[in-house]
Amino acid sequence: MSSLRLAVAVAAKDLRIELHGRHAAGLALPFVGTLLLAFGLALGPGRTLLQATAPGLLWLGLLFASTLLARRAYEAEAEDGALEELVLAPVDKASVFAGKAAAMAVQLLVLEASVLVMVAVLFELPLGRGIVVIAGALVLGTVGLAAVGSLFGVLAVVPRAREAALPLLVMPLVTPVVVAGVKATELAVAGRGGEAGSWLGLLVAFDLVFLAAGTLVFEHLVEE
Amino acid sequence: MFEPAPPPRPGAAPTRAISLTGVTRVFGAQPAIIGVSLTVERGEIVLLRGANGAGKSTLLRVVATALSPTYGSGVVLGFDLASERDEIRRRTDLLTHRTRLYEELSAAENLCFSCALHGLDPALVPEALERVGLAGVAGERVGGFSQGMRQRVAIARTILRQAELLLLDEPYAGLDGDARRVVDQVVLAARDAGRTVLLATHEPTRAGLATRAMLLEAGRLHPQPVPPSRSGVLR
Repeated sequence: MSSLRLAVAVAAKDLRIELHGRHAAGLALPFVGTLLLAFGLALGPGRTLLQATAPGLLWLGLLFASTLLARRAYEAEAEDGALEELVLAPVDKASVFAGKAAAMAVQLLVLEASVLVMVAVLFELPLGRGIVVIAGALVLGTVGLAAVGSLFGVLAVVPRAREAALPLLVMPLVTPVVVAGVKATELAVAGRGGEAGSWLGLLVAFDLVFLAAGTLVFEHLVEE
Repeated sequence: MFEPAPPPRPGAAPTRAISLTGVTRVFGAQPAIIGVSLTVERGEIVLLRGANGAGKSTLLRVVATALSPTYGSGVVLGFDLASERDEIRRRTDLLTHRTRLYEELSAAENLCFSCALHGLDPALVPEALERVGLAGVAGERVGGFSQGMRQRVAIARTILRQAELLLLDEPYAGLDGDARRVVDQVVLAARDAGRTVLLATHEPTRAGLATRAMLLEAGRLHPQPVPPSRSGVLR
């Protein structure tokens, strides 16, 4: 089987599991919604402060959601030892990584559409002015978050790793995504989307680095 | 159930399925198997006995390439255990009491995904499920199945795979009488097709399936005779 067809099969399998179980939608979306609501209440009714903090809260919410999704993607593999079936398949493990990352990216993008609407409503964030730049940043950031989550999500289920290993490893690693995403979103909302090129470039570089790292390292992480 | 076994790899020992030399596997500081040397001929059904923690699962997983030996070397179906893992994986199937199925997927979806992983034709899935008596629930979620039904799905996957070497690790655990008979049928069909089976089980009544028995004690392997009257005959 070609690498692309295998990646598509893995992605389709993960998305089918999510469609049947709705674990990510039932967990990540309520979590991010609650988080945004709590921050909104904590910051108070001042419109200026809410709008200033909205880009940061949007990306923090996505960061936490991506960690939950990565964990769930591998819990399904661990439930009845299914990860071993993947490991023992005589296939290129890089394709398995690509498939899992693609499935996670699709789930994150669906989640982001809902979260973006929540942020716009709760924090009165004017999306219209820079929606193209915001969408671009979200897509690029999603690829990076999905690559890191799919690469290290396996740590959530390996017996020798501690439960906290995944967030402790992933959150510092994806800091560049959060920083670049927040900056690009701030510029877009301020009507200065044209100046966000360097931050979008950082997101592209991050994506390339972690997609390459996942392709090279994933096999070593899942074996044994 | 099984097609006749394919010819061995050109250049490989024609009659040998497994050849392990001094294989040791250590977890942390704890050895699970120690200096295991094992030769299994093609077409043999070898029973692997031993108490819990004796190292049976570790040995099967080393042969399946799920684990690498810490020390020692081995050749499985003519391929080197350390450097030709994918070739071995293409030709072996590990069936355990953990069924390696996705609970949220149906029986048919699980098997179709396995077909994708192993380059098999998914059109064969309905027939495989029919053979294990699950054709009527092919579209139902595996999460709602009993352990016996799950194990049947895993057996259907084994039938689909048509592996040259079957590694069965406590395949009877948690199964009812009907499901046990399905496992027996798989072992006997594999034998009739000239395939090789390494069967680790506590079940004394399954000794009749084997042509040879080995005992693992505290990680060390010892030959153990199978009563001639029972050899090769299912009781």
